[in-house]
Amino acid sequence: MDLSFLPSLPIALSQPVLFGALLAAGLIGGEALRRYAGLPRITGYVLAGVALGPHGTGLLDAETLAKARVLIDLSLGLVVFELGFRLDLAWLRRNRWLFVTAVAESAFCFAAIFAALTRFGYSGVLAACAAAIGTATEPAVVLLVAHELRAEGQITARMLLFTAVNTVFAYLALTLLLPFLHLERSLDWAAALLQPLYLLAGSSLVGAAACALMLRLAAWLGKREDRQFVLLVALVVLTIGVARSLNLSVGVALLALGMLARNFDARHALLLPLRFGYGEQLFFVILFVLTGASLEFGALAAAALTVLAFIVVRFLGKALAILLFGYPSGIRPGGAGLLSIALLPMAGLAVVMVNDTAALYPAFGRHLAPVLLAAVALLGLLGPLATQFALRRAGEAHPEAPDV
Amino acid sequence: MSEMQFTPAPGLSVGVELELQLVRAHDLDLGRDAQDLLARLAKRRLPGAVKPEITESMVELNSSVHARYDALRAELATLRDAVVKEAGVLNLRVAGGGAHPFHNWADRRVYPTERFRAILERYGYLAKQFTVFGQHIHVGCPSGDDAVYLVHVLTRYVPHFIALSAASPFYQGEDTSFQSSRLNAVNAFPLAGHMPFVRDWAEFLDYFGKMRGYGIVASMKDFYWDIRPKPEYGTVEIRVCDTPLTVARAALLAAYAQALAAYCLAERPHAPSRAIYRVNAFNRFEACRFGLRGELVDPFKDRRKRIGEDILDAIAAAMPHAERMGGAAALGELAADVRRGYSDADWLRARYAASGSLRDVVRESSELWAAPG
Repeated sequence: MDLSFLPSLPIALSQPVLFGALLAAGLIGGEALRRYAGLPRITGYVLAGVALGPHGTGLLDAETLAKARVLIDLSLGLVVFELGFRLDLAWLRRNRWLFVTAVAESAFCFAAIFAALTRFGYSGVLAACAAAIGTATEPAVVLLVAHELRAEGQITARMLLFTAVNTVFAYLALTLLLPFLHLERSLDWAAALLQPLYLLAGSSLVGAAACALMLRLAAWLGKREDRQFVLLVALVVLTIGVARSLNLSVGVALLALGMLARNFDARHALLLPLRFGYGEQLFFVILFVLTGASLEFGALAAAALTVLAFIVVRFLGKALAILLFGYPSGIRPGGAGLLSIALLPMAGLAVVMVNDTAALYPAFGRHLAPVLLAAVALLGLLGPLATQFALRRAGEAHPEAPDV
Repeated sequence: MSEMQFTPAPGLSVGVELELQLVRAHDLDLGRDAQDLLARLAKRRLPGAVKPEITESMVELNSSVHARYDALRAELATLRDAVVKEAGVLNLRVAGGGAHPFHNWADRRVYPTERFRAILERYGYLAKQFTVFGQHIHVGCPSGDDAVYLVHVLTRYVPHFIALSAASPFYQGEDTSFQSSRLNAVNAFPLAGHMPFVRDWAEFLDYFGKMRGYGIVASMKDFYWDIRPKPEYGTVEIRVCDTPLTVARAALLAAYAQALAAYCLAERPHAPSRAIYRVNAFNRFEACRFGLRGELVDPFKDRRKRIGEDILDAIAAAMPHAERMGGAAALGELAADVRRGYSDADWLRARYAASGSLRDVVRESSELWAAPG
């Protein structure tokens, strides 16, 4: 009897199996945590990732995670684009105190983490890289929580704006720190200076080109939301692909695309706003599950004090800036503290930044990556709760919206 | 009944209330930032007042009391500039118009005061659907009897005010085919409609006392009539106007109301009659649906007439009084608009035809509102 129609053993698992399994695991983990523990689904997605990852069952090993990088880029790309699209430069121009607050929020947070880590004995460049990564608030968490709570109002709008600004700050700071990393590895000066230039200019140009193409096509398609949605996904994915092929920064390219589309669409060719809806939910789940699988818990025990200090000074840096300048920028009394709490989450963006920096600079991977990934583990699990608490307390969540 | 004591107002003074849309900059849907905006405005020294309204997506501008049109117009412009500036700090746009073209009423949140919560409790979804934006014009009256007379006689001119202010052709994302769709949201309330046919203030007090005795109303505020007396201000309040797209037009409408009231009180051209109310529903519908191009039945002359034409005749009759009170230029401007068939509703439709996007309509309408003038 010829049984060659049966698959040969061991069965080879393909990409679709990985994709589907991640989605299903995340979905089940999220729903279970919501139902039986009353915790946010996002936390459940992350925990599902932890369970599947090297520190859990090990189903997702380092090699599989590396292969899944394209999924992370895609998910994070869509999120970062949407974030860039919320960065309203006109608002920052009109409200100077808001601009001051947003810049101070990033700068104080960076300085606080940098100062703390150098006190713990880390070298300046390492500490600066970690501070840059720590400055960014996780965009996927704040966008998803705001969306699910149907939150609306000044705290919500500022949370999204500040997240956009601190994400831009983190990308810029990390890129500008590259020459120092290179010099510590004693590469030549020319390469050290040219790489950040290539990264920034190249990624912005790719974003700008995609934006020009998007606006052209949007004007030609007309204001039909369904068609513009397809156009948008097409160009976001295309930008991700081009940026990866050219060794550019996917994040910077998509932030540029989003910001330019939002702020330089003088003829209003694009419909506003562009919501990804169910499609986006898919990518959110994937992103959080993969984030969970990438987390490290070792430092929680080994360097507990450093991890704790990192989290505390990060919060204090953000809070100090918002408390100092928030009121003249139009935040109601009491809002500044809530806004600082809402900005706590760290997750997939930080994981990607940690991995990219560690790849360039192994010393970072050895010394500070575990500390950061442990902090991300805590803030990835607690962050959604913090944001939800802040938006509810601010009275901006829809009263009938269920918990995330 | 002390609040029902009619306090005479200075002769034929006018005041205006304008309900405004608060629109988010990023997607041009209605926002819910009224509280933050009002808190900022409270710190500024402004003439008149800015107040909350039923949902957090609206605020109401109140002018102070004016004898002359140009002072009213200047004050409304000052208030507009202040609101637009403070709204900008919060990344909000402000727009006129009787309805937001595409907001979803279920998203609205009621402004947290006891009165508004009670309205939501009583009227259910009607309260949220009531996120429509009107202009109310107060005209000062020498006595309660004059107020009752004016309410009846001005009812004959209700279609004028509807047609001249109509600015709500789009509702819930659709073209309603109406010039003013806003009044359809008002009509749903059990206490909407018009004042009963009472002959004088004493008879009105009797009616009011009965309604309060039945527990149907607690105060005059509970009547959502097209025109109602407002005894504590000593005014008659015309409530059928959509908020126009500009404060300039809001001031023109106030000048017209003032001149018309002066004409009616001085010349007593019509005797109050039930006949006015016989044709009122028809006239009102024509004005809402077709605006200036609609027809009304003149209950005193028993004939049908184009609303636009009827307005021009009324402006001519009221013009001598307008001249006396400094409103002649305003009436001239209004008449010119009627002759060229201009209405805010048509402007909104034209913008939609040009862009194909209601978001663009809101953006342009908010730019028109903020423009000086």
